[in-house]
Amino acid sequence: MAAETINLIQDSELELHDMQGILIRGYGLLPEAKYLLLKFEDGNLARSYLQSLYMYITNGLAKPLEQAINIALSASGIKSLGIEENDFNTFLREFKEGMAEPHRQFVLGDEGEFSAEHWSWGNPSGEQVDALLMVFAHEHEYMEELLEREKKRMEKFGVKLIEALPTALLRDHKEHFGFRDDISQPIIKELAKSKGKGDFPAGEFFLGYKNLYDEHPLSPSVAEKEDPKGLLPVSYEDPSRRDLGKNGTYLVFRQMEQQVFRFWEYMRNQSTSEQEAILLASKMVGRWPDGSPLTLCPNNPNPEKSLENGFNYWNEDRYGLKCPIGAHIRRTNPRDHLVTETSAKDSEEMAAKHRMLRKGRPYGPPLDETLEPLDMMLKADDGKERGLHFICLVSDIRRQFEFVQNIWVNFHKFGGLNNDADPIIGNHFKEGELKTDEFSLPHYPVRKRFKNLPNFTRVRGGAYFFVPGMKAIKFLAKALE
Amino acid sequence: MSLIHRGLTFSLRIEESLIPQVNQLLEDYNADQPPNESLCGTFFISWLTVPTQVYAGKEVLPARVIFMSSYVGNKRKHVDTLVNALGDKLRKVFAFSDEYPQKTLDSRSMARFIVKKSSFNAFYSGFKFVSTGSIASESQLRSYIFKWVEKQTKTPAFSSLTPSAIKSAIEKEVEKHPSFSSLMDDPEGIVWSKWKMLAMPGLFVMLMVASLLVAMGSIWWDMGLWGFLGWVLPDFFLLMFLLLVLLRKDENLESPPIDVISDEDYLEIVSREKNKVVNEMTVIAPLKPGRFRRIFLAVSLRLVAMVRYFAYIPTVHTARWLQLDRGKRLVFIATFDNQSEAYAHDFVDSEKRSRNLAVIFSHVMGFPKTTWLIHKGSDYRKDYMKGVRSFQFKTGFWYTLNRELSVENLKNNRAFRLGLNRKMKDEDIRKWLLRL
Repeated sequence: MAAETINLIQDSELELHDMQGILIRGYGLLPEAKYLLLKFEDGNLARSYLQSLYMYITNGLAKPLEQAINIALSASGIKSLGIEENDFNTFLREFKEGMAEPHRQFVLGDEGEFSAEHWSWGNPSGEQVDALLMVFAHEHEYMEELLEREKKRMEKFGVKLIEALPTALLRDHKEHFGFRDDISQPIIKELAKSKGKGDFPAGEFFLGYKNLYDEHPLSPSVAEKEDPKGLLPVSYEDPSRRDLGKNGTYLVFRQMEQQVFRFWEYMRNQSTSEQEAILLASKMVGRWPDGSPLTLCPNNPNPEKSLENGFNYWNEDRYGLKCPIGAHIRRTNPRDHLVTETSAKDSEEMAAKHRMLRKGRPYGPPLDETLEPLDMMLKADDGKERGLHFICLVSDIRRQFEFVQNIWVNFHKFGGLNNDADPIIGNHFKEGELKTDEFSLPHYPVRKRFKNLPNFTRVRGGAYFFVPGMKAIKFLAKALE
Repeated sequence: MSLIHRGLTFSLRIEESLIPQVNQLLEDYNADQPPNESLCGTFFISWLTVPTQVYAGKEVLPARVIFMSSYVGNKRKHVDTLVNALGDKLRKVFAFSDEYPQKTLDSRSMARFIVKKSSFNAFYSGFKFVSTGSIASESQLRSYIFKWVEKQTKTPAFSSLTPSAIKSAIEKEVEKHPSFSSLMDDPEGIVWSKWKMLAMPGLFVMLMVASLLVAMGSIWWDMGLWGFLGWVLPDFFLLMFLLLVLLRKDENLESPPIDVISDEDYLEIVSREKNKVVNEMTVIAPLKPGRFRRIFLAVSLRLVAMVRYFAYIPTVHTARWLQLDRGKRLVFIATFDNQSEAYAHDFVDSEKRSRNLAVIFSHVMGFPKTTWLIHKGSDYRKDYMKGVRSFQFKTGFWYTLNRELSVENLKNNRAFRLGLNRKMKDEDIRKWLLRL
């Protein structure tokens, strides 16, 4: 994905020079990455910090081969920079409330083991996260140098490093359970080489452009008088205001620990053979470990189709006999089949309105270097933490990220099911009559029901951020005075 | 026995200054929910207050206490049930209104009073012809049979049976189970209820077809007195066209600005949605200025009510629309799966649904402007969400019979039951078994 877009940006209709690079690419050529969680000790110094950092920030035009730096700000971070209350109120409600606000936690299904009180960061009673600095490098030594430089900058401007979250890309684009990841990404119309059906307008993921409703997404703005240097463009919402969001976006960050040993142990215990265990795990994911989709390859994986993304469900597999209705990929992207809709067209239309642009990276060492399920099933629990730094970019947190999390991932009634949250990333628990820890596999004469699913993932931290455009950074740093 | 789902709505004027006291009572009642057995035939009750609102920038619409219930069957019987179960509570709340008689009403007079105060509402149900009693029994049936079949599959011979043989085995198991054997038959009154619901749209279509035929026939023959029938269809369309033209004039009128609800107030409203499966929302707003809007909306709601058999809104258990205060205020209430913020999206995410709902919501303050009723302007979706938010109210008392089952669950359980004792091809039996 990243490699494709680099060659196309010359002719883009997007203002790439004003966007931070993370919006445009995943920096696949820079395998080293660290996510630094920062706290501003002083508002004035924080603005100076942004001024000092500005020239190091990678924009959307650049094609970095050695290093890249991008920054995102949380609601508290924006406030720390001294923005006026009226201007601050123009940010999305979800962003202002934050991921750990009790109602947002309810909506996201973050209770019990997932609850924010157990998070190692982003926890309301813990350190306040004001900013997220994303640092990428082409090699380890260079990353160390960059971190040293950035730490000095932080010290100088009273910025506290709360935590430096490491990342570690895994072989063959896999995630820790051993499945090929990052296959199904939405293609942005304005960045695509050729126009294709189902491409998404930039406004679905970036502020300042039209979205699928042919509207500009709600974008934060400031009073005209706040921008005497005229840095910011006119707001689409209100021409008397200036658009702070243009060429920026919202970033959702969730650190999700993956219980790999527990995952394969469960599959093994429910099966009579290793092959059956792999089949069960694949049914839960919706693809075979090599990435080939069950809808197209129901009986065996097919390496030739490991990157295949051109399939649907309505005609091919409406009853989930190949890829179960409750499978992970069928929940996070139901394509043309939603049980609640009456046609493939309507389903497709609804599903399209809830896509996200994923940018995350795994972290921690793999349970087994090969990431082969057969090898992982033989391994003992090494007690090490590993998982995924889930990062996605959306122009509407509620409509995109929270909707998917609430309605498709954690709703145990999804698609007419009874007690089934997403088998992979859902929160599985029992509470009186309420059960979310089952997985149903459509089968003749009766569906197979897998009970007592433990949590295979666990949220370890999370926050909502705003990724400002380059001009907006200048503005927030008070025009680099 | 009627299995048609209906909505009962009645409201009384109250002094705005009394709203906090009424709200406190409703909150207390909410904490002390009546047992399901006492509200036989009732699916949902929403009971809330709405403050004064301003219509067309000048007319103050009174504060009200509004009671809305969803039920199955006979209206009078339902009202009696309500009076028996909630009589004292109703009396205490109504006592705040000057429309309620000074003397305390006995149960019969109270029931008459409620019927008198009830208003027409266009009602939609997402799980038609399911009675309150069959919600639990059909769910238990499906669950029991699932476990039974699951157990049988431990015997390899069972899984190798043909679909017809498995279906017969299931039917025998249901028949011999005393609590489920009655579910082998179709629910009593279902056919009659379907016909009854279809009667109105059927008559309407027949009338229009007859009108068309008579109009065509009158070209060749003298239809005598029947000739007047030939004018019904053209008159109907002419009337609708006229109303549309007059509405178009109203669409040009500028609506007064609305007070957009604060984030804090909105959070307070949505934070009340604590149910994991079913929740409720109420939107009450004055209409936009223009006298023909009120008429157009009244006609639209009656047409919506007429075709409700065919309507489909995903994830909605029940919904209703009605006009209060001589048509100047629209009340919308819905019970649905999951959260209201997601549910509200269901309307705008679909082009088709947002167009259909514009027929109703385009008349309401805070909702986006349209031309020729359904032609949307720019920023339609953003304005729609703003409208929903700004006129959403807290429901003080909310009762729901079912907290555990989604609309799809209810429909699935019903479809499984109806499949019993039905002749099916093997392929259809396989699909039927997937409902378990």
